[in-house]
Amino acid sequence: MSTSPSELLPAGAAVSFNKIGEAMAMGTCQANGATPMRALVATVVAVGPIERLGAAAEALQSLGDAGTVRGILISEGDNPAPPARVAGNTVALHGLPPAYFNNAVGALRLSSLPTLVWWRGGRPDTLDGLAGLAERIVLDDDEPESTWSRAVTLFEGSAFSDLRWARLTQWRALMAHFFDIPEVLAATADFSKLTIAGSDRMSARLFAAWLQSSLQFNAGFTVEYAEGSTKAMIDEVRLADHEQELVIRLSPHRTCLETQVSVQGHRSASRLVSLRDQTLTGLLTEELRIRARDGAFERALSRLVSA
Amino acid sequence: MSANPLHDGLRLEPTPGPTTLVIFGASGDLTRRKLLPAVYRLSRRGRLPAQFAVIGIARTQMDDEAFRTQFRDSLKEFAGTDAHGDEVAASLASRMYYVSGETDDAGLYQRLQARLTEINGAEGVLFYLAIPPTVYAAVIEQLGASGLADPPSRGWRRIVVEKPFGTDLDSARALNRLAHQHFDEDQVYRIDHYLGKETVQNLLVFRFANGMFEPVWNRRYIDHVQITAAETVGVEHRAAYYEGAGALRDMVQNHLMQVLSLVAMEPPIAFTAESVRDRKMDALLAVQPLLSNADGKGAAASPVVRAQYRAGWVNGSEVPGYRAEKGVAAASTTETYVAARVHLDSWRWAGVPFYLRTGKRLPKRTTEIAIQFRRPPLEIFRRASQVSVAPNLLVVNVQPDEGISLRFETKLPGTRMQIAPVMMNFRYGTTFGGEVPEAYETLLLDAMLGDPTLFARHDFVETSWSLIGPVLDAWRSQKDEMATYEGGEWGPAEADELMSRDGRRWRSL
Repeated sequence: MSTSPSELLPAGAAVSFNKIGEAMAMGTCQANGATPMRALVATVVAVGPIERLGAAAEALQSLGDAGTVRGILISEGDNPAPPARVAGNTVALHGLPPAYFNNAVGALRLSSLPTLVWWRGGRPDTLDGLAGLAERIVLDDDEPESTWSRAVTLFEGSAFSDLRWARLTQWRALMAHFFDIPEVLAATADFSKLTIAGSDRMSARLFAAWLQSSLQFNAGFTVEYAEGSTKAMIDEVRLADHEQELVIRLSPHRTCLETQVSVQGHRSASRLVSLRDQTLTGLLTEELRIRARDGAFERALSRLVSA
Repeated sequence: MSANPLHDGLRLEPTPGPTTLVIFGASGDLTRRKLLPAVYRLSRRGRLPAQFAVIGIARTQMDDEAFRTQFRDSLKEFAGTDAHGDEVAASLASRMYYVSGETDDAGLYQRLQARLTEINGAEGVLFYLAIPPTVYAAVIEQLGASGLADPPSRGWRRIVVEKPFGTDLDSARALNRLAHQHFDEDQVYRIDHYLGKETVQNLLVFRFANGMFEPVWNRRYIDHVQITAAETVGVEHRAAYYEGAGALRDMVQNHLMQVLSLVAMEPPIAFTAESVRDRKMDALLAVQPLLSNADGKGAAASPVVRAQYRAGWVNGSEVPGYRAEKGVAAASTTETYVAARVHLDSWRWAGVPFYLRTGKRLPKRTTEIAIQFRRPPLEIFRRASQVSVAPNLLVVNVQPDEGISLRFETKLPGTRMQIAPVMMNFRYGTTFGGEVPEAYETLLLDAMLGDPTLFARHDFVETSWSLIGPVLDAWRSQKDEMATYEGGEWGPAEADELMSRDGRRWRSL
């Protein structure tokens, strides 16, 4: 579904580029009750094809209205004088050539505060310039392979993450809890098979890469991917050896994760944990709280890309 | 008690005595954009004396009425005011006069003298040189020769000179000598409009009216200072001037050195013009020669970087490179960007670098002073938060959004110890409401009142030129191609290297 510029920020107003700062400072495009820009703590720059920016616009406006961030939406194109639209603490530029992304971000971002780039797709080489400008880059590409390949070459310049990674937080946390048990950790090398079922193969691969880059499995360790029974990113993760099996699965209502451990056929009591806020706004909020590089993500992605 | 007892207890701000403002260059850009709108605003605020007049002087043939029309057009274009129906504008216009002539023609000054007598405006006269610097000498000499520079027994004569004051140390000294032949130093007002900005003046108040900042305003607590004057515009229609000036003369020699001296100065004993200017002078005298702390040999190691903008994208559209601008030579070697690392030899600042940068066609129009403090001696939250705390930052925003900001670390709400930076902001516009006086209003008024605090003194100008001169000499002898930067980026890679060699980086603006 294509999105026109005015649909990105329907409640906004068209302004000329050199009036954007003034419009935001004066709050002339402010929704009632929205927080003035002085309380903002970061700039989030969402970059991608326009059809992927509609959802991003909603998330950024939500964060901007809550007084958290200044949002900048930039859709890729070939118009060196793109129309600009401002709504509250969010501005959209439509059809800007990638060569000028840095110039636009440099002009619009909040001074002295962190800048986070939310990559929703586009030419991977555009990442290079943005990596030099932003404190963090959060990848969110529908088809991320080439983006990920580029990203691993840029780790030294900026802190990277991926929204798939953010969605995997609770899955990873629960898997980590399994290995809090000393006996399980001691038996790491005995685990022989990881099975991940779900609709998003890239998320599954990322999870597997994380596990393999974090633990020392034996040489015969295999990873199997299966189609999920729902449309969820991941339905189930199953880590097994000949004696025990660790399972994390999505609950029927898809709002919680259920964990189960089986040892020699005997099942332990299961545990139910909330999946937490998986909306774009919720995931971005989580990302905004992180400032450091994520070594675990970098290792996982490096392994995935090199496989 | 004032001479007029009716002023006592009126709670009014000081108003100058009878004044005639004589503007040389009355048909020029500065007059239309800045001076006439400033006069109008002062009048609206009730800050002009009852007996006030303007006499415009230029080569253009025009009469009083045409000059008044120019005034009204200027208000419309640059003050957002339709003068028709505006009583203040009408009243001011009725007291505007015009004399045409060549600045080196003695007859012009005789006509000016006659006009002053005719309008009864000879008591206090402020000569404003809004003309190309190449013509300053002629005007000063003629004012002296005609006797117009001599204050009457009851009254005063002052002269306001725009920057640049000279093009190098020798010419600045020559101009000072010439000025002092006909005017006393206390009659000479060298304007630097940055000093008229509220935030720049507020720097003095911030430092010296608050007991909490001065104790940490030194090398023990401050890691470095960054002073930035960034413009988005290119050379526009000023190529004829700019080609002979460049960023070092146009911005560093005057504006940035003035700002540096305000940041670095010791507290004055009193808030008097001489005390403040003496302390600023001390700060400037402490500045080490700019090329003395090179990181090695060759241009790449220089603590002063110059560059020129090339084609890029600024303010929403593509822009040409400097050499493609109208009036600029195809092989021009004029710098549009300068970055410099400056050290001061003083107890307060030894070991604390001041990084200056200025340029055209940068992403944002902003002028600011950023004081970066040292990090805490112990990072006790490192293990918990997994990230180093960002150093505290005090930012004085000179323009466009005048105010002061303080960045400090705070704990994010939640059960984990996560730390993030936040900004505490003070903004003139939103705090006090009303209009913030524009710099030229403040400076014009101070010149009429005879308060030179916010004007550059002769020794400051000459010392500043003495710092700049060796850099200009070094550049003249350099054969390598100048660095460039894309219009809309924050300067050349060489400027980043200047900082990174010190383990620092330019802050994100």
